[in-house]
Amino acid sequence: MTTESMPAGGDPRRLLSEVRDLARGVRRDQRLTWAALLVLAVVTLVGIPFDWFGMSVRCLPDGSCEFARRGVLFYWPPALLLAYAAIAVSYVRAARARGLGARVLPYAVTGAVLTVLFTAAWVAAALYFPSHPVRFPSSVLVLDRLIAPWGIIGLALLVLARIERNVALLLFTGGYLAVALALPTNVGLSTPWGIRADFAVPQLICGLVLLLGALGFARTRRRPR
Amino acid sequence: MTTEAAGPDPAGHPANGLDEVVHQRVRLGILAIVHEARRAEFGYLRTELDLTAGNLSKHLSVLEAAGLIKVEKGYEGRRGRTWITLTPAGSAALAEEIKRLKLLIGKVETSGHP
Repeated sequence: MTTESMPAGGDPRRLLSEVRDLARGVRRDQRLTWAALLVLAVVTLVGIPFDWFGMSVRCLPDGSCEFARRGVLFYWPPALLLAYAAIAVSYVRAARARGLGARVLPYAVTGAVLTVLFTAAWVAAALYFPSHPVRFPSSVLVLDRLIAPWGIIGLALLVLARIERNVALLLFTGGYLAVALALPTNVGLSTPWGIRADFAVPQLICGLVLLLGALGFARTRRRPR
Repeated sequence: MTTEAAGPDPAGHPANGLDEVVHQRVRLGILAIVHEARRAEFGYLRTELDLTAGNLSKHLSVLEAAGLIKVEKGYEGRRGRTWITLTPAGSAALAEEIKRLKLLIGKVETSGHP
């Protein structure tokens, strides 16, 4: 870059293009997408045994089973809040080390708000539905998957993709949400290994997708100059 | 009484509204980086703009004197660090410059001149 003043009427197109390139470079340097996905993958995978051992299952003589996923309620709210705090701190520290400010706060706040919403919805459901059994249509079950921990991870990632203007993350999140919404994380997958495994397999798939995303973004991240 | 020939209104040309402090490649680059980053450190600016420390300092002084940036010096451990943030006037000046540049590009394209 030269230090000469650009004469008025020079090449504004080039000047504007340079400004955009510099802004794009800053946004790339502020990103720590791989770390966010890694934290979320670890939280998801560690959550599987909590759901497995925290689930109370009561099978009736007619072959049907009632279950309560207490492990999800006890594990996920604090785990997600800690995860968003850890991601925010990591972003700020990495950006500061590179000599930049961070723009992660809206993501962390969205994640925390969605966590509170999920907790409220699940507590309300746990208190109401045992005494008022209802068979929901599939559209309600999709909404339920969206406000479950695996769904809200994706919703918050959409916010991160927006604030980072990160098209790759947006595409990844679209794929992740498609997987999280298609998998029956709220009624269990039909497996031959019992009801606990029925719930564990979708969580394992979500965790692995996040882990693969973390590896992919780590491989393509911009190294500081 | 003289009659002047009607020509293009010079006051209406977008180039006339350009601020000489901002309309300079390095200073515009500094403003663009700091705006996007919320705040930027001296070393980051020097690397990204490929400048010497002295050269960057001169440009920062011009921007600071114009009230467009705020320079804060501090320490992290034993290492001295200088952080630059935009003032509200700096944000407004950057937005105005970008608006003028887009107007200029539009003007060049509609007039058909390169």
